[in-house]
Amino acid sequence: MNIDDISALRDQHPAWRLLRATSAPLMLSFLGQHFVEQNEGATPASRLIDALDEHLYLIRGGDDGLYRRGPQAYLDDWADPERGWLRKFYPVDSDEVHYDATPAVEKAYRFVEDLQRRSFVGTESRLHTLIDLLRQIVHGSEADPETRIAELERRRAEIDAQIEAVREGRSELLDETSVRDRYQLFSATARELLSDFREVEENFRSLDRSARERIAGWDGSKGALLDELVVSRTDIAVSDQGRSFQAFYDFLLSGQRQAELAELVASVQKIPAVQVDRRLRFIHHDWADAAERTQQTVRNLSEQLRRFLEEQAWLENRRVLDLIRTVEQTAIRVRADPPTHLGVEIDEPGLAIALPFERPLYNPQPETRVDSLISPEDEETADAEALFAQRFVDAARLAENIRAIVPPQSTADLIDIVELYPVEEGIAEILGYLALRDEDLEIRLDDGDQASIDYTDADGRPRRATLPRVTVTRR
Amino acid sequence: MQGTVYRETHEDVWRTLERHEATVQDHFARIGVRAIVDPLEGYAFLKTIAPGPDEDPLPRLVKRRALTYPVSLLLLLLRKRLAEFEAAGGEGKLVLEREQILEMLRLFLADSTNETRVLQQVDQSISAVAKLGFLQELGRQRGGGAWEVRRILKAYVDAETMSDFAGKLGEYANGKETEGDGDDD
Repeated sequence: MNIDDISALRDQHPAWRLLRATSAPLMLSFLGQHFVEQNEGATPASRLIDALDEHLYLIRGGDDGLYRRGPQAYLDDWADPERGWLRKFYPVDSDEVHYDATPAVEKAYRFVEDLQRRSFVGTESRLHTLIDLLRQIVHGSEADPETRIAELERRRAEIDAQIEAVREGRSELLDETSVRDRYQLFSATARELLSDFREVEENFRSLDRSARERIAGWDGSKGALLDELVVSRTDIAVSDQGRSFQAFYDFLLSGQRQAELAELVASVQKIPAVQVDRRLRFIHHDWADAAERTQQTVRNLSEQLRRFLEEQAWLENRRVLDLIRTVEQTAIRVRADPPTHLGVEIDEPGLAIALPFERPLYNPQPETRVDSLISPEDEETADAEALFAQRFVDAARLAENIRAIVPPQSTADLIDIVELYPVEEGIAEILGYLALRDEDLEIRLDDGDQASIDYTDADGRPRRATLPRVTVTRR
Repeated sequence: MQGTVYRETHEDVWRTLERHEATVQDHFARIGVRAIVDPLEGYAFLKTIAPGPDEDPLPRLVKRRALTYPVSLLLLLLRKRLAEFEAAGGEGKLVLEREQILEMLRLFLADSTNETRVLQQVDQSISAVAKLGFLQELGRQRGGGAWEVRRILKAYVDAETMSDFAGKLGEYANGKETEGDGDDD
């Protein structure tokens, strides 16, 4: 890298610019905590704002001079495309804006984290890992069966020797330092893997974008375009990135592997020499979460790309963009004097259909016969008693009863009143009391309490009415 | 399905439609209407079929409506944003804030000293487009209104509609110019 490359990175790379930003400590502490440490994916705005609000409150600790802007203002600032620290978007299934950290945040956070001095840096395990990797590369790409067999036999001899050593009780255990060394490497790699997912995702996104750009700028023939489309369609899946990720994902999805991994991590953390990193306890779950998110992104991208590739839509889009350009130019020419009666004619969305089944069906009514003629034979004397037997509750009488007992500006129970003026006309009379509407009387029902009133009905049978306690107040 | 049916919001109707699409098509064909179902984008709507040369035209069930000039402009600009959004690999929904729509449209509106009039015109256009169902207001976010541009816009404002409009607008502009000082070109 020469000085120009480095200056360009300093000026343009979002991670470097993040480190140079004034609010870097706030950003790294908050975004690092939320997206890196807690391994959160895209988060709805409201949740992130609340979290940042709380974070700011803790940081300020009563000193209002620190980081004075509100959470929303900070997020808007960080999500500005110029800065590129947060990705702001509306997912298909949500009406709320979501934020996700960009790989720049991961990078900057990791860099700052690395700056902290480690008390012990293991080197032995790295050497072993490197040699192991070399072996994998060399032997994994060896096509000659003879050589492969020779290598496998060599490894078998090695294992046999180890078995022998254990039988004879002279095997060597890893000492504490070696254990710590290896655990450190594991821990670092495990966390790195997690942070790599974000970058993988980002790379998928840029693959998708470049495919679209290529398609959008296509000028060749239709056949060549179709070829191009087929290539683009599989681009994402067959890229190095795509294949490696897919292999990882398959590995992770195997239940057996998951169980083995969980068991291994658990037993490693039981070794006393290991300084347990709690975050690693369930690291495989975090991997699975992050990988699932990435997988989802890839799925969405290829689905969208498929839509985009629909040949017709593509041609239409190009034509549309051309047409709009023309319209825009013309519209600017006539801006000072816009047409009044000129506009697009479109079909009105929706159709006023009334389905026949939505109307109520004709519902035939049973025939009603009205016969107002009283037949002449009906001359026997009508029972006039019924007319006179109708009862009439005289509200005025009831009001008088009350006034006779209750002095003005005082209150009495209805029970006390009916005790002095027994109920003469049954339940109707009690209801009559309740329905009194005289100006100077107020009837109040108290649902919390019950009262019962005894009376005799028209046939002389004793009856009891139970009702809420009623009080009568005279004003 | 009197209005537009979306897979997201009309799950039941959508499922029925998927299962019985052929029957539904037959049914509507009798009254000169076709159901346009777009399984990719997840929407469906009804459209009048243009009668064949030897057919008697059926009464038009889908009303055609001429939009005002600013509303038409807005529709076209939104359509453009949608095309750009897709070409750029945008994820999820295309959402524009009122301010963005305002900026987009303002360039084409007559400069007016009365700023509020321009704002009012833009707001009216937005609500007209929303009424047609091409813009949908999202739940109020902190910090102002946001509008989702629905993809069905693509089905209604198609190239044909636009080229009609472009032609008419071009004629109008040329008429204006010859009316003024004709030796412009």
